[in-house]
Amino acid sequence: MLIQEELTAAFHPGMQACASTVAQYLWLIPAMPMVASGIIALLKQPRRKPAAALAIGSLGLSLLVALAAFAHVVSDWTQHIAVRETVNFTWMQVGASHVELGWVLDPLSAVMMVMVCFVGLLIFIYSVGYMAHDENFTRFFCFLALFAGAMLGVVIANSILLLFMCWELVGLTSYLLIGFWYHKPSAAAAAKKAFVTTRVGDIFFLLGMVWLFAQTGTLLFYNSGTGSLEPLALGGMLATPSALGLTAASAIALLIFAGAVGKSGQLPLHVWLPDAMEGPTPVSALIHAATMVAAGVYLVARVYPLMSAGLAPGGTTLALSVVTWVGAATALFAALIAVAQNDIKRILAYSTVSQLGYMMAGLGLGGVAVGMFHLITHAFFKALLFMGAGSVIHGCHEEQDVRKMGGLRKEMKLTFLTYAAGMLALCGVPIFFSGFWSKDAILEAAHGWPFSQVPYAMLVFGAVLTAFYMTRQVSYVFFGEWRGHGHAHESPAVMTVPLAILAFFAMALGLIGTPAWPWFRAFLDSRVAELDMHAFAEPAWLMLLGTSTVIVVVGIGAGWLLYGNKSPAAEEPDALERALPPVWVALRDRLYADELYGVTVIAFYDWWARVADWLDRFVWGGVVAAVAWLFRGWAQVNRLIDVHGVNGGFDKGCDELAAGGGLISRVQSGRVQSYLRLLAVAVVLLAAILFWSSRG
Amino acid sequence: MNYAELFRVMLPETALEIAALVVLVVDLGFLRKAALNVRAGAAALLGVVGCAAALWVMPLQPLGGYIYPSTGEALLATGGTAAAAQIGILALTALTLLLLVDTEFTQHVGEYVAVILMAAAGGLIIAAAQDLLVIFIGLELLSLGLYILTAFAKRSGASAESALKYYLFGGMSAAFLLFGFSYLYGITGSTDLHRIMLGLYMPNAAAASPLLYMALVMIAAGLGFKVAAAPFHLWVADTYEGAPAPAAAFIASVSKVASFALLISIGAAAVHVFDGMHGKVEVITGFHLNSQPVYLGFRNVWLELLMVLAAVSMVVGNLAALAQISVRRLVAYSAVAHAGYILLGLAFFSYTPLSAAAILYYVLTYGLTTIGAFGVVAVVERATGSDRLEAFSGLHQRSPLLAAVLLVLFLSLAGIPPLVGFWAKFNLFAAVLSVSRSGAAVGLVALAVAMSAVSLFYYLQVMKRAYVLAPADETKIALPPVTLVLLAFIALSVVALGCFPDLLRSWIAAFYGGM
Repeated sequence: MLIQEELTAAFHPGMQACASTVAQYLWLIPAMPMVASGIIALLKQPRRKPAAALAIGSLGLSLLVALAAFAHVVSDWTQHIAVRETVNFTWMQVGASHVELGWVLDPLSAVMMVMVCFVGLLIFIYSVGYMAHDENFTRFFCFLALFAGAMLGVVIANSILLLFMCWELVGLTSYLLIGFWYHKPSAAAAAKKAFVTTRVGDIFFLLGMVWLFAQTGTLLFYNSGTGSLEPLALGGMLATPSALGLTAASAIALLIFAGAVGKSGQLPLHVWLPDAMEGPTPVSALIHAATMVAAGVYLVARVYPLMSAGLAPGGTTLALSVVTWVGAATALFAALIAVAQNDIKRILAYSTVSQLGYMMAGLGLGGVAVGMFHLITHAFFKALLFMGAGSVIHGCHEEQDVRKMGGLRKEMKLTFLTYAAGMLALCGVPIFFSGFWSKDAILEAAHGWPFSQVPYAMLVFGAVLTAFYMTRQVSYVFFGEWRGHGHAHESPAVMTVPLAILAFFAMALGLIGTPAWPWFRAFLDSRVAELDMHAFAEPAWLMLLGTSTVIVVVGIGAGWLLYGNKSPAAEEPDALERALPPVWVALRDRLYADELYGVTVIAFYDWWARVADWLDRFVWGGVVAAVAWLFRGWAQVNRLIDVHGVNGGFDKGCDELAAGGGLISRVQSGRVQSYLRLLAVAVVLLAAILFWSSRG
Repeated sequence: MNYAELFRVMLPETALEIAALVVLVVDLGFLRKAALNVRAGAAALLGVVGCAAALWVMPLQPLGGYIYPSTGEALLATGGTAAAAQIGILALTALTLLLLVDTEFTQHVGEYVAVILMAAAGGLIIAAAQDLLVIFIGLELLSLGLYILTAFAKRSGASAESALKYYLFGGMSAAFLLFGFSYLYGITGSTDLHRIMLGLYMPNAAAASPLLYMALVMIAAGLGFKVAAAPFHLWVADTYEGAPAPAAAFIASVSKVASFALLISIGAAAVHVFDGMHGKVEVITGFHLNSQPVYLGFRNVWLELLMVLAAVSMVVGNLAALAQISVRRLVAYSAVAHAGYILLGLAFFSYTPLSAAAILYYVLTYGLTTIGAFGVVAVVERATGSDRLEAFSGLHQRSPLLAAVLLVLFLSLAGIPPLVGFWAKFNLFAAVLSVSRSGAAVGLVALAVAMSAVSLFYYLQVMKRAYVLAPADETKIALPPVTLVLLAFIALSVVALGCFPDLLRSWIAAFYGGM
């Protein structure tokens, strides 16, 4: 830590006053997909090609802008300038207080936006093939583009309010896309569950945001020294005590973390993510693996200065240790459940929850760079795995049960090869796969944590389980004999080419974060990246390499031993079930988390809903009915005056005039007479009111 | 009298009048043989060019307006409220002119556009007027134009009927107004707004207090007629129902903006003089029994009058709108309700430009929204021959865009965020509460908020028919291109200004030196 501080000092802070051109136009990155989404929304259902072209084209343009921004940050970084350019503006003014929004270009946002655009673009292209037969193709791309825009908004936001708005928009699109096949009751229920569960976290996030605003008086993260994440504001928050002996900084950090827990499916709010697999597979890949669920991790990384406020070298803060423990627990918990699932996407979903736990733990233990590195590598290989799973499902005629597949390595060669790359990356096979380097960095940080070795043990055991369940899945799907019905076929090129590109990155991406050349970490921390081959010879690292190898060998070996090249029929008990029946049942039933919520939270809500319903019906309903009755009565009186007073006068006037023989002007004069009479009465009444009130 | 100076002040009005004459010459001269739609397009285009020209010459106006040299009395103002309102009037006039292009209620499009431009010139004068006589001339110029516009659908009996009603009611109100002005002149010996306000604090004015009360009541009646405040609103429903849709849109938007700009001028003159007097004399309202010197002043009497008008307008407008089955009448009564909200802002008028800015924000956005609403009503009327609620049944299926535009506009009128109508109400009520936290102010704001909730009900009544009920007639409604662009522009502006509320706020604030 100390060394890092010194190195940072060698960097010049970037010029704050005038943002570069590319930073000025950063808003285009989220705006273009959003505009595209708006246009697609107006297209009619059969306009498939323009819809897909608009979505892909807009995201492609966003990717170009993002790459330009990234290149700008990198070029400044190579000149030893720590880039943090912000563009802020007043959104609205209420009295003396301004509500400000803005965006920020720094290494963190630059890396993230390139990843989101790139992975998103590949998934968009893949979706053209995957959704080809869906009649709501245009609606799908409308939502997908809106999601991309909102997600990129989260990434570039320099204002916690803007981040929150995009965050909610992301949640909304997630809801819409999980429930995309809303005619399936399970999809509709899953969408609702996702929306409601993440809302629990969002409430805390909102509280944290309001508290942060109250403490610092600004919604901006960075604003030339007056932002809420800058030393001045952080110092103020550290000095302010709040309840339970926390500082305001810790309390706000924990509230914001609660939002991240909801979005990133951490314990105890993980229950929605596996159910979210009801959505179309590209959605699972884009939203529930690569980007949106990582938004929680990104949020923690974004507010890391707040999380780590008051951090002493070699120490930790309350917020960071909470992040660590929650992350490590989630990593282990979800990996356990993943072992005993049979739905190909559910296994990956629990694996995602588990890996998000690793990222959180990485943030808590090793800082922004460690967590973010795993986020980036994971985004690539998990998107790859989901899209591979989609390809498998597509090829097996919408079958999702791994027990009804098998032997697909022959029919689906390309899918198998890319899937294997993704699986090996996820298992963390040493040297050649990116997952190894990023997971290794987390384990290294956990090993060096001075306070407890329990998280390290949890993460290591989780890693063994990861290798185990992935081996189980791959054995079921690609090895053994074909157990399904019909004939499996390979997917079209529009689906397999993105797979191949992702597979390349799932392997190659590790190169930017090796101990010998920690480019990624140096870039995020604004330090110089130096090539130092001796790092590979350090005993600590060699020991970790050994541990990782053991983890992978044990995990994959055990998996292969139990499942390799065997073809159990769907009815046959699982190999693990025969070995450890009670454990298997508990894991298969997802460790009863849903049931626990069912008898506690949901039962309470049911009871409370009944109470509220009673109150509504008999107490408030009565009040409202009374008010409504009053108003209706009043309106009736008005109408009566209109009909009998005004119109009556009119009719009477008509009658009089008709009797008098005035045929021509009867329509007008009758009515206007009474109008003018009323005008005079009103003047007299107003005057009377004035005189009466001024008397006293 | 410095006529060159006066001419410079009156440049925008002059531009409009010249444009009116050019329109007449072109339409009656060059295009006599052309098809109606060509003539309508050309006339509307020339009218828009005239508005643009008026906008273009506005920067040439001298600072400080026109002051009568020999007495030092102000006649016309430039900058500030006047400039903001004039720009608003010109923009809204241009929009209503474009509504004409796709309608065919009249053959006399040249005359129609010319009358609109002349009436708009009257509106510009009202927005800048600082003198009773100028105010009266401006009001008459505007009103006479409006009477003619209401009657413009010559083949329609309803149009003629409503025009005559409007004219009779307006004539009577003008008489009241002039009567009130004459009393005011009698009490203070001046026609300049600022001098009148000052004069009302003089001891000799106190003796004439019953006279002052009558004067202000009559002025309130005259101006209440212009802004359609209850109980002087009786003409509104008939006029909105009978007038051709573009004319009704003009009455509902431009005329409102001009009249409220005048009320802002009056309010500003009152508070500024009151502000100046504040430190010197103790201001007491009411009669004193023991013959102490009493300084009546303008402000407290006016406050009370406006409070009554505001409360009555909000209640009567919203409740009457509930019972309507014609969408035009519904919009008319909702206009009464909106006038009530704005009058509340005028009653509690701030020393700072806060209130003026909030009222301008409200009335400009309201005008914009109403033009769009009348545009939609006009299209539906042409397709179904009726503006009854039933005519809107299934609008979503017959024309999704039209239904979406109407949804945006009506939700904005009801004050639903993030549309601009929400910010208009929010700013206005916030301004009221920042001026006064008295029981009356808080109570009236609470009433206004409650009444906004009521208004949501009748707006949604229309939307329910548009979106939920099945159409009686399945045929699609074709949107003419100009109307399509206009409606889309208005709806998008309502959304965009709502999402970025600071755009319009800071634009208006710039006229008050940034506030």
